[in-house]
Amino acid sequence: MRKLLPLVLVLLGLALGQGDKLKACFIYVGPIGDAGWTYAHDLGRKKAEAALPWLETRYVESVPEAQALPVIDRFVKEGCQVIFATSFGYMEAVLEGAKKYPNVIFAHATGIKRAPNVATYMADFYQVYYLNGLAAGALSKTGKVGYVAAFPIPEVKRHINAFTLGVRAVNPKAQVLVRWINAWYDPAKAREATEALLAQGADVFAFTEDTPTVIQTAAKKGAYSFGHYTPMLKFAPNHVVSGQIVHWDVIYIDFLKRVKEGVYTAKNLENVDYFWLLQHKAVEMGADYGVPINPKHVPLLQKAQMTVGGKKVSVYDRIMALMKDMQSPKPTFDPFTGPIQDRKGMVRIPAGKKATLQELLSMEWAAPGVVGDWPGEPK
Amino acid sequence: MRWELDPNPSPGKVALTYGLFLALTLLALGVLFWAYGVSPLKAYGLLLSPLGDSLGLAEVARRTIPLLLIGSGLALAFRVGFFNIGAEGQLLMGAVGAAYVALFLPSGPWTLVLMFLVGGGLGAFWVGMAAWLRVRFGASEILTTLMQNYLAYYLVVYLVAGPWKGQFVFGFLYTDRFPQEAQLPRLGDTLVHGPTLLLGVLAAVALHLLLFRTPLGFEWRVLGENPQVARYLGLKGGQLLLLAGALSGLLSGFAGVGEVAGIHLRLLEPAQISLGYGFTAILAAWLARGRPLLVLLTAPLLGLILAGGDALKLSLSMPFRVVDVVAGLLLLALIGAEAASRHRLVWRR
Repeated sequence: MRKLLPLVLVLLGLALGQGDKLKACFIYVGPIGDAGWTYAHDLGRKKAEAALPWLETRYVESVPEAQALPVIDRFVKEGCQVIFATSFGYMEAVLEGAKKYPNVIFAHATGIKRAPNVATYMADFYQVYYLNGLAAGALSKTGKVGYVAAFPIPEVKRHINAFTLGVRAVNPKAQVLVRWINAWYDPAKAREATEALLAQGADVFAFTEDTPTVIQTAAKKGAYSFGHYTPMLKFAPNHVVSGQIVHWDVIYIDFLKRVKEGVYTAKNLENVDYFWLLQHKAVEMGADYGVPINPKHVPLLQKAQMTVGGKKVSVYDRIMALMKDMQSPKPTFDPFTGPIQDRKGMVRIPAGKKATLQELLSMEWAAPGVVGDWPGEPK
Repeated sequence: MRWELDPNPSPGKVALTYGLFLALTLLALGVLFWAYGVSPLKAYGLLLSPLGDSLGLAEVARRTIPLLLIGSGLALAFRVGFFNIGAEGQLLMGAVGAAYVALFLPSGPWTLVLMFLVGGGLGAFWVGMAAWLRVRFGASEILTTLMQNYLAYYLVVYLVAGPWKGQFVFGFLYTDRFPQEAQLPRLGDTLVHGPTLLLGVLAAVALHLLLFRTPLGFEWRVLGENPQVARYLGLKGGQLLLLAGALSGLLSGFAGVGEVAGIHLRLLEPAQISLGYGFTAILAAWLARGRPLLVLLTAPLLGLILAGGDALKLSLSMPFRVVDVVAGLLLLALIGAEAASRHRLVWRR
């Protein structure tokens, strides 16, 4: 068997080289109509399929995290050569599946464990969250910003921290009130949490959940909000200020091209980790594509002032300047640049240092200004 | 013209009714597939595709295991007149018991046996409370067992989000992985945990023998057919009911142990543990008409419907809601056929 393996690989390579279609299959954790995470991945899949004529795709939606392995079995049997698993919770199933099918290429979104045939990828929002935080800090009249959060995992904590650093850069006394709903997709819990935060006095909202529920609930009370994952302007045109928008297609197209070219094989993915940001165009700040800030709110942000290096500047100009910088090939600004203490006063990033990728991926501390329960907070 | 109960339908009539209902459903599904833009014939093929290969059969078997265990217990309980709707909760309690043994007791060769004992025991205890309330106070077990489902559900949520939450799970809501000794062996590469499957088959056979070949079984059947007769005969109705209920809880608990020790290898969110087996099994038991042995047939059938729906979802990239409609229609056809075959149309007044 071991002797046959190279032969099989060569044959596989030949088959690919001869213009047969590459079959990539996607495992989604939610329904594709959720307007959030899964919808965004599916959009990426469709764009990749449109851009790459030699690509054929399949997907299956709403796969419970504990049920991913049978789906992998089935996909491999149907001839999938590349399998994208788009939820952190699929990690064990992906690693087990990768061992079982050493010739299939796996890519695990938001994952942290790799193998010769398992790559990890992520389009991360922390820079965008910081920019949105600046706007939120400027718009909040009560000084209380609400955050409806999914799971207390490093990814979400990193985003809340970046957002809070932004809020505090404008309004050093502001608070970000956090509520965990322990679900990626749960409109009912999201609504409950939003209403509770409204009652606590929050008047600007950001969130991590896969529906526009927070936006709609907040807008009913006239509160501003920031969309998450996909353009959400249409759900509350007067209240969505901006948001985080992902372009998974950028990563999918890059990855699949390299698979097709033979750069990525089922043997050399051990160190392939995409952590793509503004500069890679994998994420975008915006209420809608190409609309960084809702034109209705631009005058408000132009009027709002903040202090940067002892000088007064308008929040709008600051956002635009930082965005331009972070979109450039060599960004000079990073939200997680020291000195940064956590909310308990412990120095987390020393002065003059930027957080390393490892520090970003394992972030458990809470930034000053974060108010509320924080499971797993370091003592 | 009126409907009346047909207590003893001929096999031919039963077959005909089932055939008719299935044909009607396939027709409706055909329209659905056609409207969705898929060739109905291809879709039918996919629905049956799990039967065609080892991978598909394994998927059917994986779903059959809990349905078989719970279904045979429920077939008995229903026959005796104890309407246990809480199998889902008893399954979860079984999972809790198994997780406790796996995570907090020293492990050794006895671990798996202990997991089944504690898990099954918890399931039996859980339904036992409802049975006791029924016997002592006449509280409807349909309501109590149904409500107990929610209690069990939130107990699991509390455990995985609170005291039992794992140290190596990055804030996700599950416990750490069970140690090696607490994992059930699987058949080859599949997720079919053999010992539990064997247990399910044994349970169906044993309960059938118990029900139809022993004095205890006779008393159970009398009680189920006519509680008043049972009282005249001096049967201890309360004890009989408790025993039947506890047996069904025990088997549901076993099913829960099997799911966590055979598939998930950890305790996790309740909705992910069982996929509603406790409710689907009610159907398996009902279709078996109070004959535990027949569950050996109905459980794989329901397993096939569930697995076929998955195959459909994967091969056609179909939205899961459409697939849910497919499974729902098929189950509805089975229920309709079962009800219709047990009635006859009488033309005269």
